[in-house]
Amino acid sequence: MKVLKVPARTIAVFVLPCLLLYVCLVFVPILVSFYSGLLKWDGITTAKFVGLANFGDMFWNDPVFWPSVRRTLLYALASMLEIPLCLGMAILLHRYLKRGNTLASIYFTPVILSVVIIGQLWKTIYNPTSMGGMLNGLLISLGLDNWTHNWLTEPKIAMYSIYFVSLWQYFGYHLLIQFTGVSNIPEELYEAAKIDGADGLKADRYITLPLIIPIFKISIVLAFIGSLQAFDMVMVMTAGGPAHATDVISTHMYNSSFLSLKYGYGSALATFLVILCLTFTVAINFVFNKLEKKYS
Amino acid sequence: MVNRKVKKSAALLLTVLMALSLAACGGNGGGKENAAAENTGSNNGAAKSGDSEKKVTITFQNIYPDPTTPSHKMINELVKEYETANPNIKIELDTLNTDQQKIKLKTQAASKEIPDITIVNPAAQMKPFVDAGLLAPLNDMLDQNGLKDTYQSGLLDYYSFDGNVYALPDGNNIEVVYYNKEIFEQNGIKDTPKTFDEFLDVVKTLKAKGITPLAIGEKDSWTGSFLFMNIVLRTNGGPGFLQDVMDGKKTFEDPAFVEAVDAFQELVQAGAFPDGATSIDATAGGNIFKSGQAAMWVIGSWETGAIDASSVAGKVGAFQFPTVNGKGDPNEFMLAPGSAFAVSANSEHLQETKDFLNFFTLNLPKKQFELKNAVGLGQKVDGDLKAAGYSDLAIQIAELFNNVKGGDLAFDNTMNPATAQVHLSSIQNLFVQKVDSAQVAKEHQTAFEANKE
Repeated sequence: MKVLKVPARTIAVFVLPCLLLYVCLVFVPILVSFYSGLLKWDGITTAKFVGLANFGDMFWNDPVFWPSVRRTLLYALASMLEIPLCLGMAILLHRYLKRGNTLASIYFTPVILSVVIIGQLWKTIYNPTSMGGMLNGLLISLGLDNWTHNWLTEPKIAMYSIYFVSLWQYFGYHLLIQFTGVSNIPEELYEAAKIDGADGLKADRYITLPLIIPIFKISIVLAFIGSLQAFDMVMVMTAGGPAHATDVISTHMYNSSFLSLKYGYGSALATFLVILCLTFTVAINFVFNKLEKKYS
Repeated sequence: MVNRKVKKSAALLLTVLMALSLAACGGNGGGKENAAAENTGSNNGAAKSGDSEKKVTITFQNIYPDPTTPSHKMINELVKEYETANPNIKIELDTLNTDQQKIKLKTQAASKEIPDITIVNPAAQMKPFVDAGLLAPLNDMLDQNGLKDTYQSGLLDYYSFDGNVYALPDGNNIEVVYYNKEIFEQNGIKDTPKTFDEFLDVVKTLKAKGITPLAIGEKDSWTGSFLFMNIVLRTNGGPGFLQDVMDGKKTFEDPAFVEAVDAFQELVQAGAFPDGATSIDATAGGNIFKSGQAAMWVIGSWETGAIDASSVAGKVGAFQFPTVNGKGDPNEFMLAPGSAFAVSANSEHLQETKDFLNFFTLNLPKKQFELKNAVGLGQKVDGDLKAAGYSDLAIQIAELFNNVKGGDLAFDNTMNPATAQVHLSSIQNLFVQKVDSAQVAKEHQTAFEANKE
C-alpha cells in the first residue's frame, strides 16, 4: 500500500459502497434472523419475546431436528468424498486425452440444468415398477427383481436416492474445477521430474497433489456449502416426506416457518444453520492452511 | 495470513448463505413479487397526479392459473365486464397456483402489505390474518344488492369472527367417492360399497386384478388427511370430534380416533393406494383416476368439472363414504367450504375494492353456471342443471348435496397450523409403514398440547 501511495481515505471511499451494500444485504438480515429466533411468532400477528426457548425446543423437544442435522451432515460428507474421485478423474483426463476439456464439458452439462428439471427427471427414473420407473425396469430386465424398491418412498432408502442425484449432478462441476487446476500446473515441472525419475503416480504424489491443494479446497468448500443448500432438490423430489424421512435442516426450516407458521422457530433453525456453516468452514480452512504450509 | 483467509472464506460463505435464503424466497415468488407490487404502486401515483379523473388500480390476487378451467375464464370475463362498465377502474390480476399464493400471502402479511383482494382459507387457516387486523370486515358490503342472501345459510359462519364476515367463499364442497363404473363392471362389482367392510372387499378384489383401487397424491399430505378425517367422522358417530378435542372434552387418544387409524391402516395394508403414493403430488394423483388407471378417488366435489373434462368423462359415478364398523351416517360429509375472497384492511381504495367485490361475487354464480361449473357453488343459482346440459355426474353430485346433513371441516381448517403439520406427516407415515395406532394417537395429543395457545 505504501508503495502505491494511496491515501487511506481514498481506499475507504472506494470500499464504502460495496461495504454498505454488503452490511445491509448480508449482516443486517442475519442479525434480524438471529433476533427472530428469540421470538414466538407466526410471522403475521404480534411477536412475543421468549428468549432461548426456541433453541431449547430445538435441541431437546423436536424429534425431527437431530435426524435432519444428521442427514444434512451426511449430505455434506458424501459431496466432499466425491471430490477426490473428481480429482482422480481429472488427472486421467488430462494425462490420457488430447482434448480432455471436451469430455469435461460434457460431464458438466447436468450442472446447467435447473434442479427442478433434474428432480423431475430422476423422479420418473425412480418411479415404482407399476408406474414404469426406469431404474426398476432395468433391474427387472437384468433379472434382479428383488433389488427393486420404491426408491423415493421407502423411508430407509429415500434419502440415499436423493444424495445420489446430487452427487450425479455435481460430479461434472467439481471435475471441471479440478481439471482446470490440473491443466494449469506447468508442464515443465513434470518434464523435470521425469528426468529425476518421477513418473506416473509418483509425479502425481509429489507434484500434482501439493500444487492442487488450493483448488481442492475450493471444491471442498463449495461442495460443503452446496449440500447445505440442498433445499430445492429435496423439495422437488420428496418435499421432506414420507413423514420427515428426507427432511434436511433447510426443508425443516421452511416447513416450520411457512407451513407450521412458527416463524420464530424457523429463524432459530436458520441461526443454527448459519453457525454450523461458519464452524465447518473455519475448520476446513484451518486444515487446508496447515496442508498448504507443509508443502510450500 | 490465516486470519485473513478465514475471514475471506467466512464472507464468501455468508454471501452464499444469503443467496440461498433469497433463492428460497424467490422459489415461491416472494422476493420478485414484492418488487412488482412496488412498481404498480408507483404507477398508481403517476396516473393519479397526471389524470384529473381518479384512476384506481385494484390488485386481485387469485388462484385460478389454469386457462383451461372454467374458474379462470370466469374471473377474466367478470373483470373485463367490470372494467368496461367502470373505465376509471383497473383490476390487476395476480394469478398464482394455490401453494404459491399461500406462501406469498404469508410473506406479504409479515410486512403488512397484502393485496387489495386476496384469497384466504376458512376458519383456523384465516384466523391469524384476522387477528393481525389485516382483513376488512365486509358486513356493510354484504348488505348491498342483497348479496348476503345469495349464500347458503350457515356458510359464511366459517369466515366470520366476532360477528364480522371477513371473506366470501368461491364455493362449498363435500368429500365424495368417485368411481369408474366401467372398471367396476369389468370386475364384477355390482353395487357401490355401503360399509367399510364392503369397501375393503372392493379394494381387495381390484387389487387382486392388478388395478389400483384408490388414486391419491400423498406428496401433498392434505389428500391423505382428508380421507382419514372422513373415517374419523364415521367412527366418532358424527361430526365435532376435533372441536371436542379443542374444547377439552375429548383427547386424540379417544377410541374413535384410534379406531379410525386402525381402519385407515387396513386400507393401506390391503394395497388400496398406488405404489410410491407419498412421492406423487396431488395433481398427478388425480390424473391416475382421470386417465382411467384407478377405480376410485376419494376427493372433494370440486373435481367434478375436471373429471367431466377428462378421458373418463361419462364413465364416472359418485357415492357417499361408507359407514365404518356400523358407525356414522353416510349423509354426513367432510365439508370443504371454499377458498374465499378477502379485502385488505389497509387498501388505499377500500370503497372501490368493496364495490368491485360486490359486483364480482354477485355475478360469480351466474357466470359459473354458464361455464358449466355450478356444482359446488356456495351461492344459490337459478337454473335447471339438466336443461343446461350438465353431465349425469354433475347432477348426481348435486343430489348428494341436497342430502347433506352436516359434517366436519378438514383438519387444517380446524386446528392451528403447527398441530396440523404434525397430523399431516403422521398420516403420511401410515402410507409407508405400519405404526401402532395408540402411538399415532399419542403423537397427535402431544402435538396438540404443545401447540395449544
